Amino acid sequence: MNNRFKIVVFLLIAVMLFSACAPAATPAPQQPAAATQPAAQEPATGEKVDLTFSVWGDPEELAILQEIADDFTKANPNVNITVNVSDWDTYWDKLQTTLAAGTPPDVFAMDAPLYPDYQSRGVLLNLQPYIQKDNFDLTDFYDSSLTCYQTADGYYGLPRDVQPSVMYYNKDMFDEAGVPYPDDTWTWDTLIEMGQKLTKDRDGDGTTDQFAIWADLWDMELYWASAIWQNEGEILNADYTKTLLGEPADMGAWQYIYDLIFKYKIMPTPSAAEQFGDPFESGNAAMTPAGHWVVPLYSKVDFNWGVAPLPKGKTRASIVNSVGFVVAKDSKHPDESWAFLKYLIGPQGQAKVTSLGLGVPAIKSIANSDAYLNQKTADINHKLFLDTMDYAKVKPCFKGYDEWATLFGDGMQSVWLGEAELKPTLDELIPQADQILAEANSK
Amino acid sequence: MHSSGIRLRRGEHIWLWVLLAPTLIGLLVGTLGPVLAAIGISFANWDVITPPSFAGIANYQRLLRDPTFSKALINTLYYVGVMVPVSTVLSLALALLMNQKLRAITWYRTAYFLPVVSSTVAVALVWAWIYSKDFGLLNFVLRSLGMNPVAWLSSTKWAMPAVIIMGVWGTLGEGMIIFLAGLQSISQSYYEAAEVDGASGWQKLWKITLPLITPSLFFYFIITMINAFQTFEQIYIMTRGGPVNSTTTIVYYIYRNAFRNFKMGYASAQAIVLFAIIMVLTLIYWRLQEKWVVYDG
Repeated sequence: MNNRFKIVVFLLIAVMLFSACAPAATPAPQQPAAATQPAAQEPATGEKVDLTFSVWGDPEELAILQEIADDFTKANPNVNITVNVSDWDTYWDKLQTTLAAGTPPDVFAMDAPLYPDYQSRGVLLNLQPYIQKDNFDLTDFYDSSLTCYQTADGYYGLPRDVQPSVMYYNKDMFDEAGVPYPDDTWTWDTLIEMGQKLTKDRDGDGTTDQFAIWADLWDMELYWASAIWQNEGEILNADYTKTLLGEPADMGAWQYIYDLIFKYKIMPTPSAAEQFGDPFESGNAAMTPAGHWVVPLYSKVDFNWGVAPLPKGKTRASIVNSVGFVVAKDSKHPDESWAFLKYLIGPQGQAKVTSLGLGVPAIKSIANSDAYLNQKTADINHKLFLDTMDYAKVKPCFKGYDEWATLFGDGMQSVWLGEAELKPTLDELIPQADQILAEANSK
Repeated sequence: MHSSGIRLRRGEHIWLWVLLAPTLIGLLVGTLGPVLAAIGISFANWDVITPPSFAGIANYQRLLRDPTFSKALINTLYYVGVMVPVSTVLSLALALLMNQKLRAITWYRTAYFLPVVSSTVAVALVWAWIYSKDFGLLNFVLRSLGMNPVAWLSSTKWAMPAVIIMGVWGTLGEGMIIFLAGLQSISQSYYEAAEVDGASGWQKLWKITLPLITPSLFFYFIITMINAFQTFEQIYIMTRGGPVNSTTTIVYYIYRNAFRNFKMGYASAQAIVLFAIIMVLTLIYWRLQEKWVVYDG
């Protein structure tokens, strides 16, 4: 028999069977004592505790997270931690299935925009009582790192790092074209003006193979959200019930991006970009906007590069997202889970992850310490990321985010591929997007 | 039992059930239970995480006005409509070739059958590379033939054909084996008689081979159709349903809804509709087989 459909059906079944069998999946408040009065449940010393810890990421991250887990278990010998690393898609499939089955990992990673969908469904442990009990200091965290995780009754998750978006540029290409390196004087117009000098047909085959800029237009975090804010537009209204991407200021930003591709031809279409993999890394784009997470990757390229602020539009803007950690409400060991989470996002954990160059620490004092500023990953201006934090806006986090974001990410592709016009596409997508928001908010 | 001419002796009944038990239990727990549960869930609002609530036929009503579902349905029909006939014709041609007495024929047969036993996920990763625009094998071939390279997986026009090509390739081996078995069960005496009457190779193919292989054709067509309606892995790996939903099939959309959009009830309703479509088409085929399938002997 076939097994295509079976994978999906099997997951459906697994979810149903487990949720039917496991009492933990029902909302019976089994551990209210632990959640509200952590002081009452001091971990019995010597008792063996097994924690599972899940994150998405690559093998390099697994190594460093394993080290962090090992450090923690050295200090807490009664705790044993199993670290699971999956790729992004598998991670969320597994998480939902195990949550439904009542066997979620004790501690797991959370992407801030997706957090409301999980938090609102009551599967995360409220960390507020623990924060208070331990007097855990949140004042030194970047405000924008906490925004998404904060709810009316406290934090159900805490951030590890922040990812403000900046412009990476290939110094060799700028030198060759005789263009001064981008700096804080750059505007949208400078990008177009200088961009034309940076766009070239190097091998003379009639097609451009060096573009001034490449930006992934699927996820708003890479570029388009910044562009909209730079044009003084808004993405959603304040209570996340209305999509504002068709408003005049937003249209201006979309048009600007459209013109970069189709009028000035200094940015490749997604299909032209695809052939290069990451066009910046492959040396086919002189600039690309991204967060700090690309530093380990770009530290391996054979050209000189640096970072600069995103070009200014009507105003200066950038976007910041943060990855955090949460504890499952059904965790049998909430105290130990909290202790581990605290270690993960605490100074030691952050400093260790920082050494990989994968992000900017969410704690300001660590971000301003040698561990971050003088990291060995790449010789660039790491402080620029901290300066960007001053004006970077938080990536929207709201219920229904994934479905909403997929609608625009995939839906706008037809425009970027040159197969559809901007306005009709947005006119088609926005009502669907608002429908998604209405539904997500009705629950 | 009587029709088969085998009479069970006393005590054998029990063994009959004991030996069937593993399969039956597997079917009941692994297939029937979930099917029934899916029918139930399709009438509920369920986000997988919090308890479900009754939704009546809202999930089904919603299907009617969901443009993405219509698109997924059209994409699925496109996939099935092209992939199944092409795969059938090519596998039959392949089986006819592989039915020759060639040197190392076993080696060829194995080579063509390999895709069937390979993991679709691994194979899809290789195909993603074959299709890649600049470094891909396919575009290398196109370029060396003087044609323009195609952005296979990032173009709304070409992504589905690309997925279909991989689908055809993946099923060829299976078809070849089924048709080979069919070809080899055709009695040589028909061909000998035809040769005595002076029939040409084409006549033998059209008048003997094809009619007598219709049971295999019927079987292959129906199995491949059912599988094609449920295509998922190559889309999950190669295109994620994109660009612009151009490769979103029903099963991929079910996956998105169930595991990304927190809409298990809606996903189940889609699964039920898909099930109904497949069942109706299968029944139609079943009825039609009397008209064209020849059972020898």
